[in-house]
Amino acid sequence: MRRILETLVPAAPLILLFVVWESAARLGWAPPNLLPAPSLVLQRLLELLPDGEFLHHLGQTLIRLLGGFAIALVVGVSLGLLASRTGGGALITVVRVLAPIPKIALYPAFVLIFGYDHASKIALVVADTLFPILLATFHGARAVEPKLLWSAWAAGSGRFASLFTVTLPATLPAILTGCRVALLIACVTVFLAEMISSTDGLGHLLSLAARSFRMVDMFVPLLLISLIGLLLNVALQFARKHLLRGQS
Amino acid sequence: MEKRAMIEIQRLGKSFRIAGGKRHVALEGIDLNIREGEFVSILGPSGCGKSTLLYMLGGFVPPSSGSIQVQGRPVTGPGPDRGPVFQEFALFPWKTVLGNVMYGLRQQGVGKREARERAMALLHKVNLASYADFYPKELSGGMRQRVAIARTLAYDPATLLMDEPFGALDAHTRTVLQNELLQIWERDRKTVMFVTHGVDEAVFLSDRVVVMTRSPGRIRTVVDIDLPRPRVRAELLVDRRYQEYVVELERLIEDVHHERDAEPAPAPVAKTTLKVATR
Repeated sequence: MRRILETLVPAAPLILLFVVWESAARLGWAPPNLLPAPSLVLQRLLELLPDGEFLHHLGQTLIRLLGGFAIALVVGVSLGLLASRTGGGALITVVRVLAPIPKIALYPAFVLIFGYDHASKIALVVADTLFPILLATFHGARAVEPKLLWSAWAAGSGRFASLFTVTLPATLPAILTGCRVALLIACVTVFLAEMISSTDGLGHLLSLAARSFRMVDMFVPLLLISLIGLLLNVALQFARKHLLRGQS
Repeated sequence: MEKRAMIEIQRLGKSFRIAGGKRHVALEGIDLNIREGEFVSILGPSGCGKSTLLYMLGGFVPPSSGSIQVQGRPVTGPGPDRGPVFQEFALFPWKTVLGNVMYGLRQQGVGKREARERAMALLHKVNLASYADFYPKELSGGMRQRVAIARTLAYDPATLLMDEPFGALDAHTRTVLQNELLQIWERDRKTVMFVTHGVDEAVFLSDRVVVMTRSPGRIRTVVDIDLPRPRVRAELLVDRRYQEYVVELERLIEDVHHERDAEPAPAPVAKTTLKVATR
């Protein structure tokens, strides 16, 4: 009983949103040809899911999203750790200059450089997710208790080795928080890139449906990307629980 | 033949910039020699720079002036010949008890199996073998400090640098750990530098007690503790000489406090403002 309640309470606002949206569509508060009922969208999504072509689009989006995130994770954590050590300040100055640039403005350039396929979209996801991960790593690494490092150095760990044996694990909580933000940004970015120029992916499906005024079909990719975001967050929480079992 | 000094500290000073650009002199003109196998306590009020002195010996914080030599070599950074034990334990929270104790051995290239065996042997010695797979957060303060001591003993440093190691523990646990430390020391006879503000702790454990003054931190006096070993707390407590040492040191500490009050109050210096040593 208690377990059911514990899962229901966080879901309550979602259910409320669903109910409001559903009634808005059903009671004619919003024109049904502009705002389809969520039950219709959900039904359409379930119809499409076994469809091979739809799954292909979903797969393309997931490859770009996860590929870009993975690259940003490796590069961001490495650079963030290096920047946290003496002499790394210069790197952070560069980051402070580059981070506020709207990365979507770079997308036309990415398309010209990397072409219309995966690479340009992955590049955009990397550009957008790199900085939150890098900065979270940098600030987390800076806050590592010096006595942990002293203990490691006294035990015979070298300066470079301690970066991996102490700084990295001690920074993990901050890195995972950065990942949480980055995954959300990745969902938004990959979708935008596919809407702007693509021949496949969920963003492309939305653009296609919008152009031919198929409103239910237009909401299907939106619903799906939000579900993907939700599932990725759950997966991250699961990873966090496992990785930080000794901490916090 | 007299043993040569294990640690030679000459004209050592430490000052650092505080808010407003002024320099705060934390330590000044420290001269101290510590013999091999000697147990020396540094006793003083908080803010007298006694922890800073220990950090400089560890090579974690660079001195501003003067020199420190350990076994005839100047200290340029941390090394496995000087093992620290901190008040806050500073255990690696992501590693198990066993993983923490194995750490130094693994870093020094000892194979996994051998490191595990040696770490387990050490954990048996400190009565923590059954907690090998626990994480530090699952242990009590006293157990955590035992793990921290075992982690340091694992790589067999010639000198132990202990920074108020029992300061965060309750009175009973502190007594237990003091006894355990004495047993370990009486067996291994490592050189120990023990920073504390507990007078009876200093007398109970030490061969010599160094009394520090505050602002700037200087050595006020050094008291030889001429009590027989092995020391047993219950016997010492009724020992006339033990009581005299405690009273003498209490008076010295009291004087230091009064001297401090006579001067304008110095700015408190947070330990964390110290620049971390880099190698």
